[in-house]
Amino acid sequence: MSKKIMSWAYCAMAASLFLSTNASAQSTPKLSDPEIASVAVVANQNDIGFAGIAQKHSKNADILNFAKTMATDHKAVIDQAVALVKRLGVTPKDNAVSKKMLADAEKTNASLRTKSGKAFDKAYIDNEVAYHKAVISAVEGVLIPQAQNAELKALLEKVDPILKTHLEHAEMVQSSLK
Amino acid sequence: MIRLLAAALLVLSSCSNSPEKARQNEPAAPKDTAYAVFTVEIKGMKFVPDSIVARKGDRVIFVNRDLVPHCVTELDSKAWTSHIIPPGEDYMHVVDSSSNYYCAIHKVMKGKIRVKE
Ligand SMILES: [Cu+2]
Repeated sequence: MSKKIMSWAYCAMAASLFLSTNASAQSTPKLSDPEIASVAVVANQNDIGFAGIAQKHSKNADILNFAKTMATDHKAVIDQAVALVKRLGVTPKDNAVSKKMLADAEKTNASLRTKSGKAFDKAYIDNEVAYHKAVISAVEGVLIPQAQNAELKALLEKVDPILKTHLEHAEMVQSSLK
Repeated sequence: MIRLLAAALLVLSSCSNSPEKARQNEPAAPKDTAYAVFTVEIKGMKFVPDSIVARKGDRVIFVNRDLVPHCVTELDSKAWTSHIIPPGEDYMHVVDSSSNYYCAIHKVMKGKIRVKE
């Protein structure tokens, strides 16, 4: 697939993930800091969930190594986010975006669990590529610009390069499977 | 008999002295063993700087300033590794030869050390 089509596909996917939560489906969601914190935690938890399934369903060394990195790094990010909201006295608040992300992840989990072998490896890593693209686009397009608290914004800015490195790593594994 | 005992004592005393003597006999460090210390920060998921030119025996200290664990592992034959460097911790590598290295946790993170004569 050409780069152009890929990037179009990912934009469409990011848009469906983060914009279609509104009935109007046209405006960027407006999130408060407690809602941003909730989205951040759910986004990381989802990827830990995918990694857990990979650790059970895959025998491929590159997939297992990648999944282990995802579990470790996204846990580290959650720990930082939880420590920050505690310090700030903020309680993460469920919202349309975090609920949609959770519901989508449950569908992905169900689909991944039906697969094994090479079909699983491909489905898992394809999802990792798409998921990281969507989360990066949300972090850069919605969460960082809308975060009011400077420390929350700074944490999101530190998380962004982690996600980009994961994406690059996922793409490397994805092309090695072909 | 007395002579034998004396000899034995002499041996004993020379044995107990030997570690100290060995230390005393060690040559003073020649000037050219002085080494340079380089610092590579691991931040924003990158090795900064990602390329270093050093002499054999120089030290490179890798400091993890990120939120996530990293490692530094020789790329081509896994000749050396830091193992996991948790956030906030560091690892010292003694330069022995030119190496390409990477983070085995995030395989797209890479850097190199070039040895100059
Ligand atoms: Cu790393």
